[in-house]
Amino acid sequence: MGLEELAESLGQNVLTTTLGKLVGWGRGNSVWPAQFGLACCAIEMIATATPRLDIGRFGSEAMRASPRQSDLMIVSGRVSQKMAPVLRTVYDQMPEPKWVISMGACASTGGVFNNYALLQGVDKIVPVDVYIPGCPPRPEDLLNALMILQERIKAQGIMPRQ
Amino acid sequence: MNSRGPLLSAETLVVEKGVSAGDSWITVDAANIKEALQSMKDDGYRLLVFLTCVDHLADASRTWPGRYELIYQLRNIETKEMLRVRAFVDGDPPHIDSVSELYPPANWDERETYDLFGVVFNDHPDLSRILMPDDWVGHPLRRDYPVGGEVVEFSEEHQTWQTAPEDA
Amino acid sequence: MTVSEGVTIIKTGEQGAFGGELLTVNFGPHHPSTHGVLRLIVDLDGEQVRRVKPVIGYLHTGIEKQMEALRWQQGVVVTDRHDYLSPPINNLAYALAVERLMGVDVPPRAQALRVIMSELTRLSSHLVWLGTSGLELGAMSMLMYCFRERDTILDMNEEISGFRMHTSYIRPGGVMADATPRFLEMLEEFIRAMPGHIDEYEDLLTMNPIWRSRTIGIGRLSPEDAKVLGASGPMIRGSGIAWDLRKAMPYSGYENYDFEVATSDDCDCYGRYLVRIKEMREAVKILRQALDRLPDGPVNVDDRKMLPPPREELETSMEAVIHHFKLFTEGYSVPPGDVYVAVESGRGENGCYVVSDGTHKPRRVKFRSASFVNLQALERMALNHMVADMVAIIGSADTVLGDVDR
Repeated sequence: MGLEELAESLGQNVLTTTLGKLVGWGRGNSVWPAQFGLACCAIEMIATATPRLDIGRFGSEAMRASPRQSDLMIVSGRVSQKMAPVLRTVYDQMPEPKWVISMGACASTGGVFNNYALLQGVDKIVPVDVYIPGCPPRPEDLLNALMILQERIKAQGIMPRQ
Repeated sequence: MNSRGPLLSAETLVVEKGVSAGDSWITVDAANIKEALQSMKDDGYRLLVFLTCVDHLADASRTWPGRYELIYQLRNIETKEMLRVRAFVDGDPPHIDSVSELYPPANWDERETYDLFGVVFNDHPDLSRILMPDDWVGHPLRRDYPVGGEVVEFSEEHQTWQTAPEDA
Repeated sequence: MTVSEGVTIIKTGEQGAFGGELLTVNFGPHHPSTHGVLRLIVDLDGEQVRRVKPVIGYLHTGIEKQMEALRWQQGVVVTDRHDYLSPPINNLAYALAVERLMGVDVPPRAQALRVIMSELTRLSSHLVWLGTSGLELGAMSMLMYCFRERDTILDMNEEISGFRMHTSYIRPGGVMADATPRFLEMLEEFIRAMPGHIDEYEDLLTMNPIWRSRTIGIGRLSPEDAKVLGASGPMIRGSGIAWDLRKAMPYSGYENYDFEVATSDDCDCYGRYLVRIKEMREAVKILRQALDRLPDGPVNVDDRKMLPPPREELETSMEAVIHHFKLFTEGYSVPPGDVYVAVESGRGENGCYVVSDGTHKPRRVKFRSASFVNLQALERMALNHMVADMVAIIGSADTVLGDVDR
């Protein structure tokens, strides 16, 4: 039984809201991204893990190769029509609760490639929480997006996203 | 390399020859492509740099013998000379002999050309789509295939972006 | 039969050498060891690789079609993004091709700046390779060290062009802007520090017993195979053939620089590693010469039809305003013809074949990418190796999937 069912059976009261804060704090500070590099942005994603920026300061240095072990999918790069079903499969394999950051112009809107081959925005197949502009965005932008996401996760508490 | 192009043992197969922006080229008949490339290979052009296709649909700059122009860029590693072999094909789908036995790198190049232009290479060991999904319809790099994507409002292509040109 | 998500195993029914049946195992396209979205279908006999079939196209971006829809000067932006580890080198191939068709020569300072940017890119590309390959074979600290220097290079990119990765700095007709004094200072400092850093990487890897046992004798590619398969770059030089386009068919003034072509007769992953390390040292050498001999003068051709007029002219000259307007609404047209220009990128021969029909948009732009051709050699290299060595072999081929799929 997950925390969500427990919280639902108890309803909104002092216990669950306080517990929610604790759970949100815990979840927000240990977001594990799936190692899902696609294109140029993936290189900048790697750069955030390196000493100059060190994503470990935000508790997200554990890039998981398996979607089963991750909470966050950073769609870093352009998603082609051929890749789209794979991306959706990987997303479906991630356990709830899960979040998506759409990194870069290509993932968010198709970017400069307005053509037949690319998905014009990854939000057509997965729900996106934070969009990052830029082609590719600076690693600092990714950290900023992660911080925005953390604030959201902390505010969310136990209740699952609808 | 002189301006008339290199001397070739397959002189009889050459339909036309010339130099474009410093690159020498020859045109051969599409039916003889395998024979011609075999003799080029014997002449020392042992490396196929790339193989591709150009779609000359509605190209007014000159008259073309065929709609699809196959380009074989060859290189002689010893003398560092380059030679471009052209062959024109027509039809739907256009057919030409595969050269993947002569030049192993042509294997994927031919698959790519088939995928993006729909040129069928006879006797290719595994002629299937390579870049696009297997169930894709159409050949994207043909000139009558729309660029696709989504319409950008107020752009110059707003009206015509998703439709093929009328003279296509 | 599905063992777990993403891993499908099919028995082919073929008998292997050890009495068992061959297994078909799928790697990727989302797999930690495949350097991007490469998918491999591998037939295994026990743990030995019998057949490898790469499935590509998961990053097909339609770049060649996109180029046909863009004007000549707009296309530069797209060229950056196909081989995303060496953007200025891609720019250079495209710019040289367009310049050959138009019959223009860029001034010496622009040529030297192009060489500087190319070599910086080669360094940063090899650094990414070294870092990620080290990481995959267990040398995790390599990534940390390599990305430290790579960030310095990206800072320089930012100083000279305003952007970290996709600089679009080299354009038909010259370069985007002249080098700033700050850039030259940073470059000077970088050239002084870099040889020490390369020594540091060698200290960590060259004699490291784990690194050596995982790379020596792994992924053999004989010189004959390398030639027949059309391999280029460190793949062919790692097999002992001194083929480097910078020496063989010089472009952009490379004939004026004194450098050696790095080769190794090892023909294996370790040999390719040695080649790349040597190339990094040679790149620093070229940078030193280019910086010392950086000529003065303009960095663009003086052609108002091709490049926008300087900002100050727009306020005084009506003609400049007209040129500016025409350039940004219609663009320029290129004489009909076709041309192929090849440059040496970090991965090998990176060529650009351009066909013009005389209009303001290209008729066809084809990128001859080194990774696409080198990847075909993967089967030859991986044959009869253990499945665990696949990681080292894919890593040593240094394929960039954006370059493969375009």
